Amino acid sequence: MSACFHCHEPLPHEPVLARIGGEPCAFCCIGCRAAAEWIEQLGLGDYYRLRSAPARKAEQSTEASATWSCPELDRHVVRPLDGARSEVCLLIEGVRCAACVWLIERSLGTLPGVAQVQVNAAAARCRVVWDPARTPLPALLDNLARTGYRALPLDARALDDARRRETRDALKRLAVAGFGSMQAMMYGVALYVGAFQDMDASTRELLRWIGFLLATPVVLYAARPFFAGALRNLRARRLGMDVPVALAVSLIYAASLAEALRGGAEVYFDSVSMFVFFLLLGRFLEMRARHRSGDLVDALARLTPMFADRCRADGAFERIGAAELRVGDVVHVAEGGGVPADGVLLDRACHVDEALLTGEAEPVARHPGDSLIAGSVLQDGPVRLRVERVGADTALAGIVALVHRAQAERPRLALAGERAAARFVARVLALTALTALGWSLLDPSRVLTATLAVLVVSCPCAFALAVPAAMTRALAVLAHRGVLVAHADAVEKLAEADHVVFDKTGTLTSPHVQQVGGDAAALPLAAALARASSHPLARAIVDIAAGEDALPAATDVAAHPGMGVEGTVTGRRLRLGRADFALRGTLDAHALADAVVLADRHGVLATFHPRERLRDGAAACVHALQAQGLAVEVLSGDAAHRVGAIAQAIGAGQWHARQTPADKLARLRELRAEGARVIAVGDGINDAPVLAGADIAVAMGNGTPLAQVSSDIVLTGGRLQALPEARRLAQQTLRILGQNHRWSLCYNLCVVPPAALGLMPPWLAAIGMSASSLLVVLNALRIGRAESMPPAEAAALREVHA
Amino acid sequence: MTTMLILIPLTFLLLLVAGAAFFWAVNHEQFDDLDSAGLLPLTDHAPERPEPPEEPPP
Repeated sequence: MSACFHCHEPLPHEPVLARIGGEPCAFCCIGCRAAAEWIEQLGLGDYYRLRSAPARKAEQSTEASATWSCPELDRHVVRPLDGARSEVCLLIEGVRCAACVWLIERSLGTLPGVAQVQVNAAAARCRVVWDPARTPLPALLDNLARTGYRALPLDARALDDARRRETRDALKRLAVAGFGSMQAMMYGVALYVGAFQDMDASTRELLRWIGFLLATPVVLYAARPFFAGALRNLRARRLGMDVPVALAVSLIYAASLAEALRGGAEVYFDSVSMFVFFLLLGRFLEMRARHRSGDLVDALARLTPMFADRCRADGAFERIGAAELRVGDVVHVAEGGGVPADGVLLDRACHVDEALLTGEAEPVARHPGDSLIAGSVLQDGPVRLRVERVGADTALAGIVALVHRAQAERPRLALAGERAAARFVARVLALTALTALGWSLLDPSRVLTATLAVLVVSCPCAFALAVPAAMTRALAVLAHRGVLVAHADAVEKLAEADHVVFDKTGTLTSPHVQQVGGDAAALPLAAALARASSHPLARAIVDIAAGEDALPAATDVAAHPGMGVEGTVTGRRLRLGRADFALRGTLDAHALADAVVLADRHGVLATFHPRERLRDGAAACVHALQAQGLAVEVLSGDAAHRVGAIAQAIGAGQWHARQTPADKLARLRELRAEGARVIAVGDGINDAPVLAGADIAVAMGNGTPLAQVSSDIVLTGGRLQALPEARRLAQQTLRILGQNHRWSLCYNLCVVPPAALGLMPPWLAAIGMSASSLLVVLNALRIGRAESMPPAEAAALREVHA
Repeated sequence: MTTMLILIPLTFLLLLVAGAAFFWAVNHEQFDDLDSAGLLPLTDHAPERPEPPEEPPP
């Protein structure tokens, strides 16, 4: 047994032992053992059998969940329902698989007074309906913390889950349109067959009115979003997709009703139902793709501190919720702490990390009188600041609002598809008007039949379905292969890219350290501290310490972002991290510029030099990309000989060493000025400017969360080989989109003229419309199925695997 | 003809029942979480549900 029973992380050499369900189990830390014991105690030990991904490492909770008992805060996050019940929306960190959903629902369900628990795994949100008098809110949070999840109550407005309402609404409308159109089509077929077999008039009348009955709820209920959208468009004096669709639906429906009333030749109740159903299906697929992409707003909520230390008049601090801060309050921010609200720095100069806002990882200096922005992280402190703006007025809230707006905007590709469809429908309407005019001059009795045939046969369902169907399929296939696409536009850009720029450290290579100074006894001390950090070099130190006998425990651990970790190990206060941080500036830190240093108050205990290993599959990835015709380039801040060696090992054509983020950005601009379309692949926050400057940014799944948020594509599991696969898939998607559009166009060019000339029987029009829409969907389903790998590329992959 | 006059209202009735059942299911969270329900049969002893909500959610 070498991995922790709970979180599957490597075990220290003195693992924490416990008996779970009668079996002896080993854990990496007390937190994981406590979580497993608690889960077992609740009778939910099945979780370990059901899960498909290891749990998040359980932390010994230090956060004072008791702060949430304050009624001031409750008002913000808890909404009272009828009687004794209230509801709250929690953001939960650590939901990894469906078993987590099960575990959260069950463990909260065991608490007294909990009526309803609902977990949305994709959004990492949980809605709880419970009786706060029987179980206070902190008890809910504690229960989750003991199970190993970190929970954060969200603003009560999050309860109005717009997505859930939207999904439910769309499902109902889709069902009505689906049921209605199937039934209407059934009676429609009977009518068409009857036309060949001399159906008697009374039966024909009956079938027509049944068709009317079935089409009515479809048009009046299911198609309402189109009418509402058309109304909105008209008010804004724009011609969107909804206007022609609403016009076509109401025209077909009204004209069919008029025909049925006067016993005319043809009715199209079946076609109008199908028309609505196909259009709704396209909208539904598109909505699903939109909801799947992650919620940046939640990521930002996680980054702002929930609590603030307010300085009272007597100089003491009191811990309050950040939401309670008022303008003019003075707050205390500790070193490494987050700034809770926008404010003015009062006493001394400091450095803050504003990566959240600017994407720059370099800390910036702030002097007394400068303003600090909520959500930035203090690098050296402590400082005091006077609050200037709170809540919805902060710069961070402004960003959140911007992100909301950006998410509401639909992807460019879908918009382009929509515009094409709108233009097309407008032309069809013009053609319809022309047809009506022409027939009214030639033979007024045939006006209605011919114009209806034109409207029905040329319906733009295929156009409206082409983009959403292909996109949904492509995103699903990519996600299945470990490639998460955050913005749907990325698929198009990925397919068109002709240049790849790799960051070296952490992307092409995985970090590895070598101890060069200090004695062997220092390694376990360093590893004990390093366990508290998620920095790649810290992980590497833990890895090389795996051969040690026993790891001592570290207590009072404090992480200083960008600097290192501090903690007490075997009674000594130690620091691990950058030389200037670890040595507190006492010694010549310059000689140790690259190294990771372990030091106590008296001086250096050990130094670790970063080395690196080529990541698995890096060479295969580069070869496959080159076989696809992309130019591969390595940009790194590292020394020339190391970058050169890596570039040679993977066969990259060009490389540049000693690049600052600004140099990298300049190189990207140069490439783009030459007309290249660039994919940038990076892992960390120091790549954020580069990722932002590229046409398409790819982040490694094990990189920092913020780098992932600012990127278009995330390679989950850090599998580089997924990138060439993803690009091939993106190209296939664009190819199929093109085919779909061309098909729709050809079809319409072929069928509209006979319909306008009055040569198209209604049954043929209906069949043509359905078949054309169906073909588009079936074609989209080919994405990711017919894998056609060019021989050169396959050879490159084989050669590297061998 | 008479069979048709009996069968057509019957299909309407079935259609209404199916539609109502689907709406009920959507309103009662049957389509909100499609992940965890699949795990239920795999548990040995499903713990009894907490007290059911007295009324459907809004």
